[in-house]
Amino acid sequence: MNEVVGFLALVIPAMVPFVLAAQGTILSGRAGVFNVSQEGVMVLGASVGFLASFTLGGNTIGLLVAAAAGGLVGLILALATTALRMDQFVVGLALYFATLGLASLLYRVIVGVTLEPPLIELLETYPIPLLSDIPIVGEVLFDQDLVVYFAFALSFGLWWFMYRTSAGLRFRSVGENPKAADSLGVNVFRTRVWATVAGSALVAMGGAYLPMVYTGTFTEGMVAGRGWLVIALAFLGGWRPHYVVAGAAFFAGMDVLALRAQVADIAIPHQFVMMLPYVATLIVMIFAFRWARQPGFLGNNYDRESRLSG
Amino acid sequence: MSEVAAPPSTTTARVNRAAWYAGSVLAAFLVGGIVIVLLGLNPVVAFESVITTSFSTGFGFVETLHKWVPIVLCAYAFTIPLASGKFNIGAEGQLLVGATAGVALGITGSDLPPLLLVPAVLIAGVLGGAVWSGIAAFLMVRFGVNEILSTVLLNFVAFELIDYVASYVWPDRGAGHPATIPVGENAMLPGFGEPAVHAGVLITLLLSVAIGLAMRSTAAGFELRATGANPRAASVHGIRTSRLTAGGMLVGGAVAGLGGAIEVAGVHGNMLEGMQSNFLILGIIVGLMARGNAVAVPFVAFGIAVLEVGASAMQRSAQVPIEVVLIVEALILLFLMLSDVLRSKLGSRS
Repeated sequence: MNEVVGFLALVIPAMVPFVLAAQGTILSGRAGVFNVSQEGVMVLGASVGFLASFTLGGNTIGLLVAAAAGGLVGLILALATTALRMDQFVVGLALYFATLGLASLLYRVIVGVTLEPPLIELLETYPIPLLSDIPIVGEVLFDQDLVVYFAFALSFGLWWFMYRTSAGLRFRSVGENPKAADSLGVNVFRTRVWATVAGSALVAMGGAYLPMVYTGTFTEGMVAGRGWLVIALAFLGGWRPHYVVAGAAFFAGMDVLALRAQVADIAIPHQFVMMLPYVATLIVMIFAFRWARQPGFLGNNYDRESRLSG
Repeated sequence: MSEVAAPPSTTTARVNRAAWYAGSVLAAFLVGGIVIVLLGLNPVVAFESVITTSFSTGFGFVETLHKWVPIVLCAYAFTIPLASGKFNIGAEGQLLVGATAGVALGITGSDLPPLLLVPAVLIAGVLGGAVWSGIAAFLMVRFGVNEILSTVLLNFVAFELIDYVASYVWPDRGAGHPATIPVGENAMLPGFGEPAVHAGVLITLLLSVAIGLAMRSTAAGFELRATGANPRAASVHGIRTSRLTAGGMLVGGAVAGLGGAIEVAGVHGNMLEGMQSNFLILGIIVGLMARGNAVAVPFVAFGIAVLEVGASAMQRSAQVPIEVVLIVEALILLFLMLSDVLRSKLGSRS
């Protein structure tokens, strides 16, 4: 029993990078902008978040600076694909490369090459009074750090916004049928820009969480494909905030399992255990792409004057 | 996705475009120079080593040619599927599986004569790469799984696969880092001249010509491009689009796999962790800069190989971090695309 509780208590924080980055992906995707720079933006977020936290002191500042950096990348993507109507995949890939380079460059310039990597303090847990006293559930859900609470509150907020408000309905129409949205007076470009900026900021925060909860320092390989898994997660969850949280639990479970298996003495070479999240994702996608819906206009740019748009 | 291809052109439009592209490259270097100045370092010294290292010594030039090979092959792995509108982001996984297949044959068949073993190693690489991209192609055609995701995820599976092969199957215990034992002497590609250039450069050169011709003047090449331009129209006209896109992915993976085998048999002599370097990213950058044009790929790749060889020299001579070059390359790409947009806007106004 304790073993299970301990496992679940590890899965919850492991979900956070997936939840934050996937909600960010959904936010821009639902407005029709298919961002593929997540992997790079998460690495940038991890680097910038660590550096800001290290030099300015405090993980909150680190998270905010990372979000600002991510938002800036999102702004470039948004302007390039709305005002200039450049190809979303191509701009996204170019930004992936640029952010990857920028992340290492910033770390190298500010920290340099050191024998002992500098460390930041890991996030503290804040048990919620009363709720954390509930057996099992309290220990798993309500004895975590603040970012965990933020990620879940955000997911709920996004779901509420998209499915329970009329602004959310208008917002979703931009990604489904921009021409129809436009004719109803929704500002398609402005919606796409803010959704992409906010979305990219969330992706960067997902990256910034990694050094703050696991290692205390930044390493280049620490995102380890999570940025790509997050895109799979968005498809898997049908671009809906509530399904994505469930999907994140699956990915986080794989993560924790792979880490555990590496430490535990088992007969299988650890490389095969490490493959597990990626192989499992591939298999799950076979089913996901059969039933999951995606925004009708995902990945396409809107041109008011073209008959083909919508 | 049609925006990836450059618009059709007349001679004056070509000159005009060349001027814009040259401006884009200069602008990217300018931004890179500003970054270097902000770091408190000397951009003139830095860019001098970036541009001249490949041409100042014989070794530098040979190193550039050897770097050019995997970059060109990874660029084709990206652009061939792209012609039919599919994004293969899995060249590094395909390269590594090709290298694994090549190294397996090179180690186990080391008694065979070179005339037999060298082609066998290369063919093994081709097949290995094709199998790896074939998984993604199958998932795409049969189940509609997005090929960007499947090819990327297979990269991560390939990293673990080669780590396993290098740690358990044929480990070199003395290497201090996951690596296999060397392949037999008979598996190595012959070299020419002094300093020696391996035969993989010649193979890549011939392959580039063949791919250029095939994309331009064969029915398959035409159908591939037609599918990319308008899949629905292509299918109405009797092109079997799903078979064709799957074929494009297979050929792309095969070319990347060949790159892996050449790296084993021409450069390293074994397989080691990290041998994929950043060839995936460079291949995509080259493919996008060339606008998917198969004829332009080898030339653009040469330029990028020069930058890459120069980048490590720059780090030594001017203490500028190597990442600056990656940022400059990404900026060149962004500015090239931006120049197309600006040019068409200015053009439509006049």
